[in-house]
Amino acid sequence: MNVGGKNLIEINNLTKNYGQYKAVDNVNFTVKKGEILGFLGPNGAGKSTTMNIITGYISATEGTVKVDGFDVLEQPGEVKKRIGYLPELPPLYMDMTVGEYLKFVCNIKKVASSSQKDTLDKVMNAVKISDMKSRLIKNLSKGYKQRVGLAQAMIGDPEVLILDEPTVGLDPKQIIEIRNVIKNLGKKHTIILSSHILSEVSAVCDRVLIINKGKVVASDTPENLSKRLSQSNRMVLRAKGPKQEILKIIKGIENIKMAEIQGVREPETVDILVEGSEDADIREALFYTLVRADYPILMMKSMDLTLEEIFLQVTNAKEENGHASNIK
Amino acid sequence: MLAILNKELKSYFASATGYIFMSFFLLISGIFFSLTNLFGRSPLYNDVLSSITFIFLFVVPMITMRLISEETKQKTDQLLLTSPIKVSDIVLGKYFAALGLFLATLGVTIIFPIILSFFGEISTGEILGGYIGFFLLGASFISVGIFISSLTDNQVIAAVVTVVTLLIMWIMDGIIMGMPKDRTSSMVFIGILVIAITALFYFSTRNIYMSIAISVIGAIGMIIVFLINPGLYDGIILRILGWFSLLKRHENFSMGIFDVNAVVYFITFSFAFIFLTIQTIEKRRWS
Repeated sequence: MNVGGKNLIEINNLTKNYGQYKAVDNVNFTVKKGEILGFLGPNGAGKSTTMNIITGYISATEGTVKVDGFDVLEQPGEVKKRIGYLPELPPLYMDMTVGEYLKFVCNIKKVASSSQKDTLDKVMNAVKISDMKSRLIKNLSKGYKQRVGLAQAMIGDPEVLILDEPTVGLDPKQIIEIRNVIKNLGKKHTIILSSHILSEVSAVCDRVLIINKGKVVASDTPENLSKRLSQSNRMVLRAKGPKQEILKIIKGIENIKMAEIQGVREPETVDILVEGSEDADIREALFYTLVRADYPILMMKSMDLTLEEIFLQVTNAKEENGHASNIK
Repeated sequence: MLAILNKELKSYFASATGYIFMSFFLLISGIFFSLTNLFGRSPLYNDVLSSITFIFLFVVPMITMRLISEETKQKTDQLLLTSPIKVSDIVLGKYFAALGLFLATLGVTIIFPIILSFFGEISTGEILGGYIGFFLLGASFISVGIFISSLTDNQVIAAVVTVVTLLIMWIMDGIIMGMPKDRTSSMVFIGILVIAITALFYFSTRNIYMSIAISVIGAIGMIIVFLINPGLYDGIILRILGWFSLLKRHENFSMGIFDVNAVVYFITFSFAFIFLTIQTIEKRRWS
């Protein structure tokens, strides 16, 4: 991957107000040529709004967006030529067939009519919809509609692809397929994609931007983010024996910050949520202590931090340090 | 623009809209042709054209209601507005598609004067003029319809508002006749107009200072005009409402007179509404 080239997309002080409500609040970031950037954030965080502004669908209240040096307000034509956009809801005409629709997109994206056939074959192969060419779009399943939307974004071979939740509504097999398609596209294109699923972003992206309430709260590589995840020492364990007794024993172990009963899922056992202090591995201690007490551990698994918890972590860190880590 | 035009024309015939429009139009014009020319034994074909103008009330909303509202509703406008074509091309493409459908339907009705020509002499020039007037009248109504379609994302609302608007334009001459001509009521009318423009500006921008400035400028303008030439106020209601009286301008055509002023008027009228449509779509991105 050709990461590390020049800045292809530059976003400066981007703000979008809807009346009193700030959907996007002073967002700054850059995307390098060949990079795959992930937008991560809960619903309503401002991901789609930011994407809509970059593509020129709506205008910003303040701030500038430059793609390849062209300002989206001053030279919208030049910017739009360079961007392929898959919005949250794929913009499909239900009464067209897949072939007709993609041909129409070729026409409005000004693909020369001589190369239209090649373009269509190429994009339909890339997302595996060649069999669906003469089907009406309204009769396609959600997964296939999503693929047609993706194919539409690829038409005209734009330098930048902006994909708003490209895998939403797909089944697990399709998700993996689409992710692979995106990874492949990333070899030639610069991609911004949004998601509220952490694993998806970390599987595909070179860099992740976490957005919450219209603000960028962190910008990091997926590796660093997962490091942040593994620092958390929370796990759930299921042990056989009397509840209160086990809880008491666990609370007595060194480096245990918190332990609480989560409930009983199997008879004569108890599920307990345990949190160890940072930089301490409590698994061994837990195991030996409970074995010695003759309360066998039936299950032990670490708890992934949910997205909300990462937000809390990131935003808390921000308040403590006075600034977010690594914001560019 | 051609891509949009092509797509809209196809979409008229992918759904029932195009067929319903054509058959309704041809049915009504056929009935009037039979009644007036064939059974009424009249050689004046332009009478048919002028008596069927009322069908615009029903068929124009039919072909314009979904043109833009549907794109907004289905979010397909995201594709159009983020692709490298201009908003003006999108709107013009849609407008010309509706005109094309209308023109094609009108083309079929040429069979009526041809039938008529078997029975005697007909004036080709007169009929051609009548057709041009009829087409321009329809084109103006379609531009109103497409503008209303850009104001809402609901086709039904677009259709109803279009019918009501066309109806008001229809009875405009009657409304004008009932309006007072004296100076005081004219000034009151202009005052209301200034307030309306200010309110419209305020609700679309929420800029209180600019709104006040606009109303102050309007008031000062009114006073200056009153001091310099109060005669300008006489009958101004009639003149302003008269701008929207399309049927009056169409009268000459049905009498067989080719009225160049009316041609210019209809074309200007259409482009004014197309322009408003483009502005509405552009503005929506800013709110």
